[in-house]
Amino acid sequence: MYETIGLWVAAILTLAVFSFLYKENPLYRFAEHVVVGSSLGYTIVITYQRVLYPRLVEPVFLHGESLVLIVPAMLGLLYVTRFFPRIAWLSRYPMAFLLGMGMGMAFPYDMQAYILRQIQATLIPLYTPGAPWYNTLGAVVIVLGTLAGLIYFFFSKPHKGPFFGFGSKVGIWIIMIGFGATFGFTVMGRISLLIGRVQFLLSDWLGLLH
Amino acid sequence: MKRTVPMMIAMIGGIIMMIQYFIPHQVSQDVFNYYTEWAPLVGSFALVLGVGSLTRVHIHKIRAKAPNWPYSYAVLIPLYLIPVFAFFLPASIGGGTGKPSVFDFMYSRVQIPIQATMFSMLAFYIASAAFRAFRAKSALATILLVTAIIVMLAQVPIGDLFGRWLPDTGLWILRFPNLAAKRAIELGVGFGMLATCLKIIFGVERGWLGGAGE
Amino acid sequence: MINWEKFLNIDRRWLYLLIAVVVIVPFFIRMGLPVVPSDEVRSIYNLVDSLGPDNAIFIGWDFDPGTEAENQPMGVAVLRHALDRHVPVFITAVSPLGQGLAEQGAASVFDTRIPGNFVYVPWAEWEPFRAAGYVGRDSLESAWKAAGNSLPEGARGWVFEGVDFALLGYLPYFGLVVLGMGTSIATQYPTDAYGNNLREMPMLRAHKNLREIDLAVTLAGSTACMYWVVYGTSRVGLPVAFGVTAVMATDYYPYIQSGQIVGMMGGLRGAAEYEVLEHEGGHTETTGKAYRGMDVQSLAHILIILFVILGNIAYFAGGFHKKTALKSGR
Repeated sequence: MYETIGLWVAAILTLAVFSFLYKENPLYRFAEHVVVGSSLGYTIVITYQRVLYPRLVEPVFLHGESLVLIVPAMLGLLYVTRFFPRIAWLSRYPMAFLLGMGMGMAFPYDMQAYILRQIQATLIPLYTPGAPWYNTLGAVVIVLGTLAGLIYFFFSKPHKGPFFGFGSKVGIWIIMIGFGATFGFTVMGRISLLIGRVQFLLSDWLGLLH
Repeated sequence: MKRTVPMMIAMIGGIIMMIQYFIPHQVSQDVFNYYTEWAPLVGSFALVLGVGSLTRVHIHKIRAKAPNWPYSYAVLIPLYLIPVFAFFLPASIGGGTGKPSVFDFMYSRVQIPIQATMFSMLAFYIASAAFRAFRAKSALATILLVTAIIVMLAQVPIGDLFGRWLPDTGLWILRFPNLAAKRAIELGVGFGMLATCLKIIFGVERGWLGGAGE
Repeated sequence: MINWEKFLNIDRRWLYLLIAVVVIVPFFIRMGLPVVPSDEVRSIYNLVDSLGPDNAIFIGWDFDPGTEAENQPMGVAVLRHALDRHVPVFITAVSPLGQGLAEQGAASVFDTRIPGNFVYVPWAEWEPFRAAGYVGRDSLESAWKAAGNSLPEGARGWVFEGVDFALLGYLPYFGLVVLGMGTSIATQYPTDAYGNNLREMPMLRAHKNLREIDLAVTLAGSTACMYWVVYGTSRVGLPVAFGVTAVMATDYYPYIQSGQIVGMMGGLRGAAEYEVLEHEGGHTETTGKAYRGMDVQSLAHILIILFVILGNIAYFAGGFHKKTALKSGR
């Protein structure tokens, strides 16, 4: 019974959202609003269950241990001051704690993952004995293409002359190929999402597919 | 007190965390452990802000009878109904977080279908855009379109019917020129991220202080 | 004489209708075109296939319902494969909504009404065996069978919570959570998503932090997947594999070439490739939802390419490239 009602509700809501394709209507608008409230309502429950209960309520209030956890809890509570204009500035304290320390912590790791390893991976031999020609060509494209792409994004120098001028031209071509690939994949992704909903309607709801 | 102290906290905290990475000592390990344990707890309270703001906006709409105000009930009712059922009501009337429950129903039978369908509608929009907007107006636009078409055919099984060369070409594009383009972009983004980290730590970027009065 | 302007300004709902037809009809006319797995997916499959009960992996359900159609089949495929190899699986989520999807994904693998699934034995249910000292997988399974439990017809095996599987669930600030798990998983997750004490679980005792984990597969529809690389790979050398939506997939080829990620499943196609490998490897009786979607995907791509070509023909044949603006339709 629960399953059957659930399937029908899910199917009706799916069709309600699709109805927007024909024209904007109250059913769609209703679904659009419900999803905002339910997503946050669900988040409240999970956040309590996964964070506040095991990390604060249980150790501190039920077992009377790890009393030091009251400090981050008080800091977190300062967020609430945001609703009281006179003391709203206090909400900057938890933000400062999270943001400042978070940025400091992220810095070396970001540097390693996004910069150093990427530069290292660009410094590769252009020719490897025994490699097929298309891989050799590929290695050349990786090294010169990355360099050209970087030149294109380098706006401190005018894009003129054999290095910056030619480099930025090659750069924009490479970037367009990259965007083309992304566009192709975007089409693929959007269609896949639709396939998922059609599978739900045809298979789970109507039972037409086996 | 209102601006300087938070900025100092951000700066000192940021510098301490950077130092602890480079100096592996028990003290720095302890700082690291405290931070990783505390931050999710502190951060989870930010949810109160989200719930409070959303409630305020919609109560205001209802009171002011703003356009489409009845829909505000469609936001507020699930927002409060789900936690009330999950925390306070017995399973016999749909409470709790098990199955069956209002909590489970609202998630798996309301939230998922609506959100997934909203995203899936993008398939229709991109199809319409393909017909109306993607024009080979210049050499650069043409190369973008040709690449997209090769990749689109290469990624689906029907592409194999044209011969193995097509999927192989598609993969070559992804693994080499696409890689070079994305690496150039990612390096730019990476440098931007590092700059933002430093700007926040050293108080150059102060946008996060806004919205809480003077 | 064709009126190109009228043609280009066709009511977009006709285009929508064509897409709808192309996405529905092929489900009833199965073509079963072969899906050839790429190296990017094969490398993930091979790594999982080389693991066993002494290893452990993480699967990060790091997406929201919006991209469920693409990410969920990937998660289900990898979970199925790992459980079939008796590789212990920890499941985490970057968002609260992701935790719900993880529960649904796991439930679909544990639904014994469908052949080829696994029988889930919750933590509390095998408590007497734990008390009697059976915590090793083989000895536990033997004792479990000896107690009169038998597999339903078509089931592939038992999954003991805490030995083979643990749903850790959602935590906020997930980058920090990954960093913290580099030192201790249990400090970040004192309990699993159902409130069971993680420190008591045999799989946690054997794998206390990310250094003792052999692979993390993150399924994502946003840049959340990078948490695992930036904080997992960089800090403790955790091998990471991506299962990302197609929209994002092209962005991560640099990370495959740099060796920062083991491999990548890109979109529904990536999931279909994994399903094919799994089926060929004898881990599943049939391929799953992703593979079934591939025929539809093929035809939809052809239609969109036709739209691009027709749109361009009309645009140039109508001479609109010489005009500054084209009147727009609805």
